[in-house]
Amino acid sequence: MGGISSEAFVLGAEVIGAGIAMIAGIGQGIGQGFCGGKAVEAIGRQPEAGGTITRTMIVGDAIAETTGIYSFVFAMLCMFLHPFANALTNR
Amino acid sequence: MDLLNKNPLFLSSLEINGPLVVAEFELFGITLRLTESVTVQWVIMLILGTLFFILGRNLKVKPEGKRQAFAEMVVTFFTGTVKDTMGGGYRRYSPYIGTLFCFSLFLSLSGLMGFRPPTSDISVILAWGVITFILVQRNRFKTGRLWGGLKSYTDPIPVMLPMNIVGELANPLSQSFRHYGNILGGLIIGSIVYWALGNFALVVPAVLSIYFDIFGAVVHAFIFSTLTMVYVAGADCGE
Repeated sequence: MGGISSEAFVLGAEVIGAGIAMIAGIGQGIGQGFCGGKAVEAIGRQPEAGGTITRTMIVGDAIAETTGIYSFVFAMLCMFLHPFANALTNR
Repeated sequence: MDLLNKNPLFLSSLEINGPLVVAEFELFGITLRLTESVTVQWVIMLILGTLFFILGRNLKVKPEGKRQAFAEMVVTFFTGTVKDTMGGGYRRYSPYIGTLFCFSLFLSLSGLMGFRPPTSDISVILAWGVITFILVQRNRFKTGRLWGGLKSYTDPIPVMLPMNIVGELANPLSQSFRHYGNILGGLIIGSIVYWALGNFALVVPAVLSIYFDIFGAVVHAFIFSTLTMVYVAGADCGE
């Protein structure tokens, strides 16, 4: 390891880890898109139930969003709080 | 840490902290910290209390002013939503659901006034999640009595018992992390955009604020109360 300190290595690894964690956004995107598409289909078939369908869709969207939010919170933790780099220095 | 402070890219000029500690005092040897989240909650409680006290004062059988019409609209909305989502037998939950919705909405909207919204603090939201958890367990044992309540953990087959218990404990966590993560995410993205644009922060932060602060606040207040209703009504193990 010429020239790279272990702190710098752990910091870099943390930021890469934050990036990898955000890959969970793919699942969220697919889920929300599917949810929205189905809601549009349902409204097209039954326009008078539009209000109920939209309300249900928003709740479904939020539930699909959960995993994405978990990964986002974890990524932000890695980016700004540096739990592993701090553990290394306080060792 | 030395390296963190020297980092030229983002860490030196952008700081993400927890809520501001307003006061600190000792009680029985434990240091209690009074944070911005708690004080903002007190202010919002005062505002909501005054608002609803004024709205609910001297009501008439035949509504005269716009004030009573508005009050009736709010109450009808919450009773209707609770009835639609939970069924007619749960009408007594509508005050709690309405309070939860208004409180969550106003707390999230307080971010527009320049406060750090208390809903971006996990302690605040987790407390609501725990209340929902208690309501769910209470409803389970109230509708099914002791035996039916215990039996409902083994639905549909007794092998599912550990999974049901984990799922039951995960509900308040996932519910509160969803709300908290969204509001905190909006807050962090907002501050990153402000920091990145520097002196040219003109239109973009406003658009983001409309989405995260206003739309997000309404949607997540609604979702949190809807999920509370769904969980409580779903724990009904009577006929």
